[in-house]
Amino acid sequence: MITFFKVVWGEAIKQHRNYFHSKTIYISLFVWPLLSFVTAYYGYLPFEIETAKIGYLNGENILIYLLLGYMCMSFFRSLVQSAWNFSFERQSGTLEYIYLSPGNRFAVLLGNALSSVLESMIVMLVFGIFLMFLHKEVLRMQLGTCMVVFCLMMLMAVGWGVFLNACFLFSRDTDFLFTILEEPMEIFAGVKVPVILFPGWAKIISLIFPLTYALEAVRETVLNEASFYELKGFFFISMMILVLLFGGTLITIQIVEKHMRKTGNASLF
Amino acid sequence: MISVTNLSKTYEVKRRDNFWTFHKEKIHAVKNVSMRIEKGEIIGLLGINGAGKTTTIKMLTTLLEPTAGSYSFDGIDAVEYPQKVKKEINMIAGGERMLYWRLSAYENLWYYGQLYGIQNTVLKERIQSLLQMVGLWEKANLPVESYSKGMKQRLQIARGLINNPNYVFMDEPTIGLDAVITSELHQQVKELARKQEKGILLTSHYLAEVEELCDYIYLLSNGEMLIEGTKKELTDYVFTRKQCAFSVKGMDKQVEEKLFAALREYDTEGEISEMDKGVLVTSERELTAFLADFALREGYVIQELYQKEPSLEDAIMKLSKEAKQ
Repeated sequence: MITFFKVVWGEAIKQHRNYFHSKTIYISLFVWPLLSFVTAYYGYLPFEIETAKIGYLNGENILIYLLLGYMCMSFFRSLVQSAWNFSFERQSGTLEYIYLSPGNRFAVLLGNALSSVLESMIVMLVFGIFLMFLHKEVLRMQLGTCMVVFCLMMLMAVGWGVFLNACFLFSRDTDFLFTILEEPMEIFAGVKVPVILFPGWAKIISLIFPLTYALEAVRETVLNEASFYELKGFFFISMMILVLLFGGTLITIQIVEKHMRKTGNASLF
Repeated sequence: MISVTNLSKTYEVKRRDNFWTFHKEKIHAVKNVSMRIEKGEIIGLLGINGAGKTTTIKMLTTLLEPTAGSYSFDGIDAVEYPQKVKKEINMIAGGERMLYWRLSAYENLWYYGQLYGIQNTVLKERIQSLLQMVGLWEKANLPVESYSKGMKQRLQIARGLINNPNYVFMDEPTIGLDAVITSELHQQVKELARKQEKGILLTSHYLAEVEELCDYIYLLSNGEMLIEGTKKELTDYVFTRKQCAFSVKGMDKQVEEKLFAALREYDTEGEISEMDKGVLVTSERELTAFLADFALREGYVIQELYQKEPSLEDAIMKLSKEAKQ
């Protein structure tokens, strides 16, 4: 077990040094979601926000509604980018050395995802908390529920990251995966436009992304004072998602290792 | 000891017939290869491109599963227990890849140490001693991207020893390096085997390197073991005839013709071929006394007369040509 955590820690530190070697990267990680958030907010301003479909959404809390969307998205989006970066390990030959070692493969993927989650969202998180503090009058939340939901959201982000790492690492065409996962996640997970307003086909696509469920729960907790009981559906779904993501990753690792030892090729698809 | 018995690897490759259909084709990359590597020995694995060297090394490093055959490390079955074997081995590859360029040498080694689950105190000491050994301790905290080619290669050596392996696989470790650095690395490789008792399997395209370093050589051709032995055994096997370099003052075609006639009287199978300076005489029989006698008899002043030892390169080239034919 100690060896497992040593690998997680080692990978997380390596990832930090390798991709966050310059402090300016924190600015770029913050500026892009911030611009997108500001654009979305000013896009809503000219319109009447009150809607029967989302009872708690109004002109006063739309700012926080969108902010929560971009905060949660920064968790999940950073993982797509880091998984894309991680795929270069295969091309640079370092993946072969990882496979040469007895280090646990799942621990490597987990360390990589953890490092990304914790580092990529830190500036956005600080900014978000500051903005929420300025608009605390619109917040209607139970702190306990909020913290549990937030932790679960982070766990889902890590699970998503580990799964993406596995997919990107063993895919021949990572650019394609990056394209289909990055922008569509922002559109279909309801970051800007609530999923409930989507047409049926778009709602179906939104079900693919764990961010959709996490975001809905976070907004319900922060803006609508949702209780543990009211969020029981989310807790159940998030557990299912976590099992699927971690289970899927473990199975992928097994298949890839077997495939690699048979063919000498790490590209699975 | 690494003991390899009848190791084989067959790949199944899909070949497309047309847009809709394809068929599977079997490629025998390695066939029935057997070898032994003892601790403290440097073993050479040679072969022209496509001979099966890389596939053999990948199997021995547990990255590939053999289709048939077995191999063990100090009695541990590597096919059955690859995870156990991974702790005992490591690989040093040539070239500048396989390192994290934005990380320092220290960080690179620390990361790989974590993958092997090495205790922090042990790891710190080992990193220091390895970086001192390869002469990089003073620059341990500089990013690898600022290193020269030679420094990166020395770091590869340190990386390959981070888990203190009993057996090290070296795949073209001096590729692209200049003569001075190559010589330094040769010294380190020798020390690893002689002083630290590590078993080393070396593949290289530089035959002079193999000749200098290896105690025993395996030569692969088309995935099969063509021949094995010490350098002397290989050259003796290939060159059963004696060779002498010979030249006299004012050597010309007429002298060569006279020499050829005398040689054929002495040995009907004797041969002469031209060299940069003089000729190379080949015969089953003793040549030095014959050539000295020939020069004395004809009144020539000898400029050069010495027995030529065939190099490993000569032997491998000859074998490769024969294998191709």
